[in-house]
Amino acid sequence: MNKASRRCLRAFGALALSAGLFLAGCQRRVETRGDITVEHEIEPRPPRVGPARVTLRVADASGRPLGGARVRLEANMSHAGMRPVFADASELEPGRYQTELEFTMAGDWVVLVRLDLPDGRKIERQFDVKGVQSG
Amino acid sequence: MLKVSSQAEGLSERPGTPAPAPHSIPPRRAATTPPATDLLRWPVVGRLLRWRHARTLLQIPMFAVAVLMIAHGLFGPALAPKNLATTLTWVHFRGALVLVLLLAGNFFCMACPFMLARNLARRFVRPVRNWPRPLRNKWLSLALFVLVLFAYELFDLWASPWWTAWLVVAYFAGALLVDSLFRHAPFCKFVCPVGQFNFVASTVSPLEVKVRDLDVCTSCQTKDCIRGRRAEPQSPVVIQRGCELALFQPRKVGNLDCTFCLDCVQACPHDNVGILSRVPAEELTVDTLRSGVGRLSRRRDLSALAVVFTFGALLNAFGMVSPVYALQGWLAGVLGVRSEAPVLGVLFALALVVEPVVLLGAAGWLSLKWGGRRGALLPTVVRYSYALIPLGFGVWLSHYGFHFLTGLYTFIPVAQGALAGAGWPVLGEPLWQLAGLPERVVYPLELGLLGLGLLGSLLTAYRLAEDDAAAHPRRVFAAWASVCVLLWVSALWLLSQPMEMRGTFLGG
Repeated sequence: MNKASRRCLRAFGALALSAGLFLAGCQRRVETRGDITVEHEIEPRPPRVGPARVTLRVADASGRPLGGARVRLEANMSHAGMRPVFADASELEPGRYQTELEFTMAGDWVVLVRLDLPDGRKIERQFDVKGVQSG
Repeated sequence: MLKVSSQAEGLSERPGTPAPAPHSIPPRRAATTPPATDLLRWPVVGRLLRWRHARTLLQIPMFAVAVLMIAHGLFGPALAPKNLATTLTWVHFRGALVLVLLLAGNFFCMACPFMLARNLARRFVRPVRNWPRPLRNKWLSLALFVLVLFAYELFDLWASPWWTAWLVVAYFAGALLVDSLFRHAPFCKFVCPVGQFNFVASTVSPLEVKVRDLDVCTSCQTKDCIRGRRAEPQSPVVIQRGCELALFQPRKVGNLDCTFCLDCVQACPHDNVGILSRVPAEELTVDTLRSGVGRLSRRRDLSALAVVFTFGALLNAFGMVSPVYALQGWLAGVLGVRSEAPVLGVLFALALVVEPVVLLGAAGWLSLKWGGRRGALLPTVVRYSYALIPLGFGVWLSHYGFHFLTGLYTFIPVAQGALAGAGWPVLGEPLWQLAGLPERVVYPLELGLLGLGLLGSLLTAYRLAEDDAAAHPRRVFAAWASVCVLLWVSALWLLSQPMEMRGTFLGG
């Protein structure tokens, strides 16, 4: 192996190592599974382009409503290259939260629900909204 | 006289025929263009591109980005809009690719990261076999091109960082495997689907790697542009390789099969190869014998590639509008299936086989009849199929350009998110409000690009008709113009549909 080949190999090794370190850092710091359940309802049904009302019911393992949480929603299309839509939900009654999301394009959407619970836990849940129809 | 077949061995003018002796250099078709601009003579860019390591310099960042995309695709967020693999591949890479092809040439093949890995591998593995003769054509790559289009729809590749990452890995593995087993550059010439897309699209590019002065080539004794430059004239040691795709510069016509690697530029001892400007798409009207390609009119595989390139553009765009879901649902009902694969299979067969056969067959028959010409139908269709390329490229441009421009800045928050996710938020919190140009700005651009494509196809068809039927060129042209206009109207209708980014139908 000549000098140039060794240099190339070292460069590739460094790149692979950097990618490895990058991967090692890719860890979620939020709880995506657990005993908290989040049920959702969307109106209108079927969902259409435009504003949609999203109602969430958050409960613990025993089914008791979980109130006092900060609930934020982020909706993305399944395709890259689109601006996500954000909304903060307000609590209507203990464990029941509601907000309005603006679906800006027809197609499949994925909604991320982020909950900051009163006990400090951060929970993330995801649900699909398939086939949003054009207005 | 030196023999020149060492580099071109096994990669002949036409599949199955030996490479022609390059010491006989026929004149090219008379130039109809004004004196060309030579990119290699531009002050900064030219000097950079002439540098021996220019290609590697472009490949290294592309390779680094590819590695990051694979890493993020496999281990990053599963949501496509938040992942570098899907964002960079399906929004930025595709869009930048077609725009660079439109405005310059095949510079993405020049910067191909797969070839960087392959070149490194070739420092350790010296292939001795030649690519199998029956595969020295575009049929395999055409099948792979269709397979990628099919997999894109079936597996919703745009929505899957994981599969997108594996697709990139598959490209690396394919390039390494093929080019480690076989000499020259068979992966680029005979396998790579992206490469074939680039070759076809670059026929409408304004730049071409070509000889500056043919007289210099006529007196050249060494033919280093294809043989490679050697330490000594009789030495077996090549210190600068020549064209690995068997394109002998003095007989090369157009951009087909040219990866812009600039090996010929580096190898030419007379500094006689440049990157010259030209009239886009003019090469589609030229049917002379092309080095490494042969005559277009005799290449059914290339013709099929041009047809799939054009009709595939419409099919790919059709997959993004709502009527496709109604059609899929109807087809599923007719076939009595709930699975997407057979429905997509029928759609692909209709769009890429039945529709072209009917439309091009009818146009070919009419052009023979109206033009009062005697001739077989298939060769006529093959000859005129190349006229569809500008329109097909216009559709790809409109489609990919839309995603690229409307999502222009989305790589910024995705990169910020990737770094923050890796615990290194040096770019700050993701600015998710960054998107791109508004649709109302992009839509007129799409229409303009589509119009340019139609114009290019009509002009090409007319030139071909003039050559074929001097007595009735307009009649022959009318038949092919009808097909072009019909496809253009279809594309306009597709663009006017509200886009619907769905990966599911039948509610499944």
